[in-house]
Amino acid sequence: MRNRPTTRPVRRRSAVSRAVLPLLGTLLVSITVLATAGCGTDTDNRSLTVYSGRSEKLVGPIFEEFEAVTGVDLQVRYGSSNDLALALSAEGDKTRADVFLSRSPGPAGYLDDLGMLAPIDAAVLDRVDPDDRSPDGTWVGFAGRARVLVYNIDEVPVAELPASVFDLTGPGYRDMVAIPGSNSSFQDWFTVFRLRNGDGVATKWLDDMVANGARFYPKNRAIVEAVGRGEIRFGLVNHYYNHQEVAANGDAQRSANHGFAEGDDGGLMIIATAAILEQSDDKKTANQLLAHLLSNSQQRYLTDTVFEYPLAIGVEAADTLPPAPVDTVGAVELDDVAAEFTQTISIIEASGVLDQ
Amino acid sequence: MVTAPGVTPAVTRTARHGAGVRRASPQLVATALVVATLFALPGGYVVWRAATAGGDRLDLIASHRTLDPLWRTVQLGVLVSATTAVIGTCLAWLTTRTDLPMRRFWRIVVPLPLVYPSFVGAAAFLSGLTPGGIVHDLATAIGVDLNLRLHGLTGAWLVLTLFTYPYVYLPVAARLSALPNSLEENARLLGDRPMQVFRRVVVPQVRTSIAAGSLLVFLYTVSDFGAVHLMRFETLTQTIYRTRLFDQDRSFTLAVLLLGLALVVVSAERTIARRGARAELIGDRPALRVPLRRWSMPSLAVCSLVIGLALVAPAVSLADWGLFGWFRQRRGVSALRLDAGDLIGPTWNTVWISVVAAVVTVVAVFPVAYLLARHRGRLGGAINGAVVAGFAIPGLVVALSLIFWTLHASPFEFLIGTLPVLVFAYVVHFGAQAVGTSQVAVSAVPRRMGDAARLLGAGRLRRLTTVELPLMAPGLAAGGGLVMLSTMKELPATLLISPIGFRTLAVEIWNTYEASYLPETAILALILVAISALLTWLLVVRHSIHLS
Repeated sequence: MRNRPTTRPVRRRSAVSRAVLPLLGTLLVSITVLATAGCGTDTDNRSLTVYSGRSEKLVGPIFEEFEAVTGVDLQVRYGSSNDLALALSAEGDKTRADVFLSRSPGPAGYLDDLGMLAPIDAAVLDRVDPDDRSPDGTWVGFAGRARVLVYNIDEVPVAELPASVFDLTGPGYRDMVAIPGSNSSFQDWFTVFRLRNGDGVATKWLDDMVANGARFYPKNRAIVEAVGRGEIRFGLVNHYYNHQEVAANGDAQRSANHGFAEGDDGGLMIIATAAILEQSDDKKTANQLLAHLLSNSQQRYLTDTVFEYPLAIGVEAADTLPPAPVDTVGAVELDDVAAEFTQTISIIEASGVLDQ
Repeated sequence: MVTAPGVTPAVTRTARHGAGVRRASPQLVATALVVATLFALPGGYVVWRAATAGGDRLDLIASHRTLDPLWRTVQLGVLVSATTAVIGTCLAWLTTRTDLPMRRFWRIVVPLPLVYPSFVGAAAFLSGLTPGGIVHDLATAIGVDLNLRLHGLTGAWLVLTLFTYPYVYLPVAARLSALPNSLEENARLLGDRPMQVFRRVVVPQVRTSIAAGSLLVFLYTVSDFGAVHLMRFETLTQTIYRTRLFDQDRSFTLAVLLLGLALVVVSAERTIARRGARAELIGDRPALRVPLRRWSMPSLAVCSLVIGLALVAPAVSLADWGLFGWFRQRRGVSALRLDAGDLIGPTWNTVWISVVAAVVTVVAVFPVAYLLARHRGRLGGAINGAVVAGFAIPGLVVALSLIFWTLHASPFEFLIGTLPVLVFAYVVHFGAQAVGTSQVAVSAVPRRMGDAARLLGAGRLRRLTTVELPLMAPGLAAGGGLVMLSTMKELPATLLISPIGFRTLAVEIWNTYEASYLPETAILALILVAISALLTWLLVVRHSIHLS
């Protein structure tokens, strides 16, 4: 037994070299790749770095069109709006980003508070209604999503749809409404709802919803799917998920959107925003990209293909979309974005809706 | 304590590991310290951000808004690690030490559930069980009204257990296959039944591997976001993510709390590992194989159940989505939005970046593992803590911290947005997964071999490369394999600090999921699983567990 181990390593060594050699080979190849990766940038052409909180599948075609028309090279980093805003704040004055696209005004407002955003050209800002841009002109909305009530068309007759979000706390909606309490669009909506009605009314509404058996789902899409298959009858969601599901499933999708009565606090337009970084060394081209986002053709693409509401003045929303809500998030001035959202989050947590 | 190595007979050599006998060389300590400092960068950033945050932190920590998520986090972490310890150890024993039918097959598939990104796995489970999902519809077809809804603690526990038990399985299997068979043979000869042998002889020898694996499971669980999010279970990471932009004081304070929790558990594990018996032995013949006889079928059933739930069920659910998309295309409703370009580049990137990350990680943590295994002391504990804690910090925070350090506190500003920073992020985030198994691998090499080689005049380097490394290879490969599988599915750090345009399969999965192209998501996820299976086979299984 003692002498056996001496033979052992010799036999094993081949196993090691079989394991290690391919690894070393891969390592060498990749170091070469690493070394050459940085050499590809062409400095002659104009180029912009974009941080996009909107998904590539949605806005990618818009960027490609811009590159084709202007010859500008776009370097786009995709991610969640909140994460990209955090990355930009960590990069600070050393960021290479020129343009930031965000799902909602919140992350842009956060960067504005840090003084990281540059004023946008008036010509670009004037493409949209004053409600759809920041008061100091540091971000501009380019597409809208409406907060609506999605419902199951087999179980809810159209005549019985509620006119107001306040109806949902009544006994007729017991255990029937889904709320995406941790979702950022819901929090955007609730923040505006709070500011319009006061904390007292807003808190009571949410508490009543919880008492009425409202169910918590983490995502808008999960709600639309659950409503479509009859798991729950109603849900407070963004409008476009249902359009996407219908596009994918056709008549098999058994859900539809309902907009609350005009002016009701249940409806709200949440706008995707574009901003230019203060550190950008080519603000002219950056403004050009924003103008492109708000051009008629790209706004038509956004509403016809992606089912969002166009924000450029004079561009009509696609026929299939419900009437646009009157209020937009941008229209409500948030003096201190962070404080308002902190307050929103603590009311939502205290209501217990996240445990439903 | 220990008697001098090389003198005692094999049976009593399962002694408390004979560290502390020799002093660590200054070069080794210095190297380990440098490595630990690099690993401590994300943790340092978190502590610094929390320390400079405003607000009353003590008030915040003592409030129920903090304590409730903390308690849920601890509950989930303990439950999942305990369950995975049992499942992982049993599967490891069955696949390496018994005559279980189709062992080769099981060895390839058993580690694979680790590859599901937790949000994809959880989503697959959820959608399979709801009306319209394949499980629910199949149950309805056979007349069962399945009303099973996964959520909360149960849902998170089930999903995380199924997707993390390989953290225990891999190191334990690697260890088991390298154990000497003499002890078990003796026990058998003395009349112990297989179960008794397992309990009295096998388990004590792999206890450190089980502890190391369970620690990884615990850290993975407490830092997981995807599964707990979809299962609507509010743990610390959930709160950290929810408040990350608009309540950063709270977010970073809770991240420090998470870090503290991780460190407590890490030092507890180290205490267990140090107290535990460790066999400074390595198998010199193919490991003993226990005939299962009438237990053969039940064992097969256990393996099938675990793999069925952890690997096949999510895959079927994903395939269901994918096929749905394909049929949809056939019906002409809408085309699949995937082409070869969406697949080939990301697949290749995923493969090479994860292999590079694994190799770099194993090399980087080797000095630390060597120091920990061969020399005991407080310094070792601190270094271990620094390396392991990186796993408890959410990937997003690791990315933010590296952006900060690279741009604002290092001479390497020019490296931002390049692959070396990305690889570095993977290494510090996943190094914990290699350090435990590497440590076990190092301590499994009998000192007497090194001593013998030294007597024969071999230098330090030659002893390491010709005697020690070959014996450590299975353990090192297992650790590298874990890092590789984790890197393949990493998302938040990849999105934020990879070179712009660098796509991995995980990025593409996220991309299609965000745009709600579920069939495309499913197809990409299945490709990720297949690629991981191939790589696990080529680089880990073939080497970490010798197939006879």
